[in-house]
Amino acid sequence: MNVLIDRFDVFAGGFWLTFQICLLAAIGALILGAVVAVLRISPVPPLRAVGTAYVTVFRNMPLTVVMFFAAFGLPALGSNADFLRIPLLDQVFSRLGADLPYFRFALIALVLYTAAFVCEALRSGVNAVPPGQAEAARSLGLTFGQNLRHVVLPQSWKASVVPLGSVIIAMIKNSALVGFFGVAGDLSQSADQLTSAEGYAFIPVAIGISIGYLIMTVPLGALLDRLEKRQAVAR
Amino acid sequence: MRIKRVAALAVAAALSVGLAACGGDSDEGTGAGSKSFAAGSTMEKLNKAQKIKIGTKFDQPGFGLKGLSGKPEGFDVEIAKIIVKELGIPEDKIEWVETPSKVREDSIVNGTVDLVAATYTINDKRKERIAFAGPYYEAGQNIMVRKDDSSITGPDSFKDGTKKVCSVVGSTPLEEIKKHVKDVATQVVPFDTYDKCRDALKQGQVDAVTTDNVILLGYIAKDEASFKMAGDNFTKEPYGIGVKKEDAAFRTFINDTLEKAFADGSWKKAWDNTAGKFGATLGNPPTVNRY
Amino acid sequence: MSTGEPLIVLEAVNKWFGPLHVLHDVSLSVGKGEVVVVIGPSGSGKSTLCRTINRLEPIDSGTITFDGRPLPAEGKALARLRSEVGMVFQSFNLFAHKTILENVTLGPVKVRKEKPAAARERALALLDRVGIANQAEKYPAQLSGGQQQRAAIARALAMQPKALLFDEPTSALDPEMVGEVLDVMTSLAREGMTMVVVTHEMGFARHAANRVIFMADGQLVEDAPPAEFFANPRSERARDFLSKILTH
Ligand SMILES: Nc1ncnc2c1ncn2[C@@H]1O[C@H](COP(=O)(O)OP(=O)(O)O)[C@@H](O)[C@H]1O
Ligand SMILES: [Mg+2]
Repeated sequence: MNVLIDRFDVFAGGFWLTFQICLLAAIGALILGAVVAVLRISPVPPLRAVGTAYVTVFRNMPLTVVMFFAAFGLPALGSNADFLRIPLLDQVFSRLGADLPYFRFALIALVLYTAAFVCEALRSGVNAVPPGQAEAARSLGLTFGQNLRHVVLPQSWKASVVPLGSVIIAMIKNSALVGFFGVAGDLSQSADQLTSAEGYAFIPVAIGISIGYLIMTVPLGALLDRLEKRQAVAR
Repeated sequence: MRIKRVAALAVAAALSVGLAACGGDSDEGTGAGSKSFAAGSTMEKLNKAQKIKIGTKFDQPGFGLKGLSGKPEGFDVEIAKIIVKELGIPEDKIEWVETPSKVREDSIVNGTVDLVAATYTINDKRKERIAFAGPYYEAGQNIMVRKDDSSITGPDSFKDGTKKVCSVVGSTPLEEIKKHVKDVATQVVPFDTYDKCRDALKQGQVDAVTTDNVILLGYIAKDEASFKMAGDNFTKEPYGIGVKKEDAAFRTFINDTLEKAFADGSWKKAWDNTAGKFGATLGNPPTVNRY
Repeated sequence: MSTGEPLIVLEAVNKWFGPLHVLHDVSLSVGKGEVVVVIGPSGSGKSTLCRTINRLEPIDSGTITFDGRPLPAEGKALARLRSEVGMVFQSFNLFAHKTILENVTLGPVKVRKEKPAAARERALALLDRVGIANQAEKYPAQLSGGQQQRAAIARALAMQPKALLFDEPTSALDPEMVGEVLDVMTSLAREGMTMVVVTHEMGFARHAANRVIFMADGQLVEDAPPAEFFANPRSERARDFLSKILTH
């Protein structure tokens, strides 16, 4: 178990990078997923079709394939995903602004992929709201947007929280793939570095890595449980 | 050094004669009891069982690559076959187990395989958990660049922090090159396969691919118009045969076998039929390290 | 009470749900201040008729005009039209996450852009009028069915609509609560509100309606003043229906 102490820097560095990717990807996926969900429930058929097509494509494609397209397709199209070099944000997350684009590519892939699941989690919440609620809002003259904002979404949150949490937790675990697509030094890559390149025994390293992921996922799960309980009381 | 090697070869030759004598009519003989080994040794056990499990790579051109035949082919595979033959076990009784870099130590420690021949660099860290026979080849880390690029001449070319270099997750070369770059986060690009590194190099997303020279030679052989080597090997990567740490007798047996193969030409033949086809030169046999 | 000037006009309206022909060449005119009660067997298309008037259901052919203008398609104009036509549902459909007061002020504040304070004042007056001013701060689930339906009526009234549509407003209520809701509806009718009411409450139809419409199989079978309809239904279907309803 010495490896946990001797190479603490490797674990800590990996944790910090994975945390950055997950934070950014979660924000991106929640925003994009919400947009796609709005498309999917909008009253305009072509928009609905776009939303449905998006979900069909990204929910059914393996993440490795999405990652591959991001890492090799974007450069082939001449893009280095420079639009993600967001001023100020790239001060905090230095790799966002780096010349090397793989952090941005991996982020794009994670966001695109996860957004499809975020959309479905949000939509399952919306579907859990009795249709009479939206109908009453419509009959009052609320527009689609007002209806969502004031009537449907506040009630759908409760039913969305748990599936959304599962989606984000799955995303954190999925982020382990970024190390295979050009991003140096994430948490699960630390495991590869220590075991296969440096020859440490697998079990202690795996325990260290697991602790790293649990530090991110367990508090998130607890937070979501709390949120859900609080909303239940507010009823 | 030279004298030592000559002496070693002499010992090996003597031993092989001895072994052949014990083996009965011919050293081609296989089957249980076809050779005699010390009672209770791994060699005796394997010879009695008439089967052996060998870990190798299935994706390493020239060394261990599983192709259409369904069986792995390459230099590692040929070396393993020489050892198996010396154990008096027929070639078709070998069970080939894929051992990617990550699982090699654990496969040996857990007894999933009897030995590992898988571009397996001998180093002290690994010796804490397993033991190495050999080396049977001395590879070295090198750098492959685009053919028209003369700005990279060796690992020091990454010092100024601009050039980007690709290698495979969890590999020794990846950790090695990290020591030569200015900033890992913006210069080092890991992928899960060398094929992806090659594609990224071709696309211009990275400026170099680094790993053991033999692997790079395989890529250059396939696409000489696009790639070339930049400079000489800058590390020594002695490839060894991995066995259980405590099994000194088996290690000695393999070392003897390797020395015999160096002497009788079967080592060179194995090379010429496999990795040697990529145009890499073999040089003199390395000195077996009996530690 | 009716001025005779038409407010809601349906002409040759047809509506299908897939292969099901739910509204069959329905033509109907409702004048300003008029109270029209719609009756008919279950599945005859009464709810659908009600819902087409504020375009909660789109129609397949025919025209519907409201206050002289044809119903607009989906969008802002439709939202404006809907705000002028109040609707009261069988299952109340109060917003479960908002208090009764918030239920009543939501429309005025968000759709009519009224000042929250003014909307609140008017909402309290309306709640007082339907007799539940003391429930203003409660959530819908804390109220009885009758109170919820009266809150729903107050919510519709808060938009100062030109007409109110009721789809079986008392069918989900326990019998002892039916009266309190009908009382509110009757007083609205007296004050000249234009109303289309789908109901099985024959008492209300007799006393408060100007006309009774009988529907069967998506068709408008009879259209007569209540006294005439109840005394002397012309069609076999209506006679049959009435005999079943009035015996219990
Ligand atoms: N959304 C819908 N989809 C399909 N069929 C429907 C829908 N709404 C109503 N119907 C059908 O249309 C017919 C008329 O329904 P409705 O207008 O609710 O009748 P009523 O209110 O008179 O009982 C019924 O056969 C009903 O099953
Ligand atoms: Mg109905």
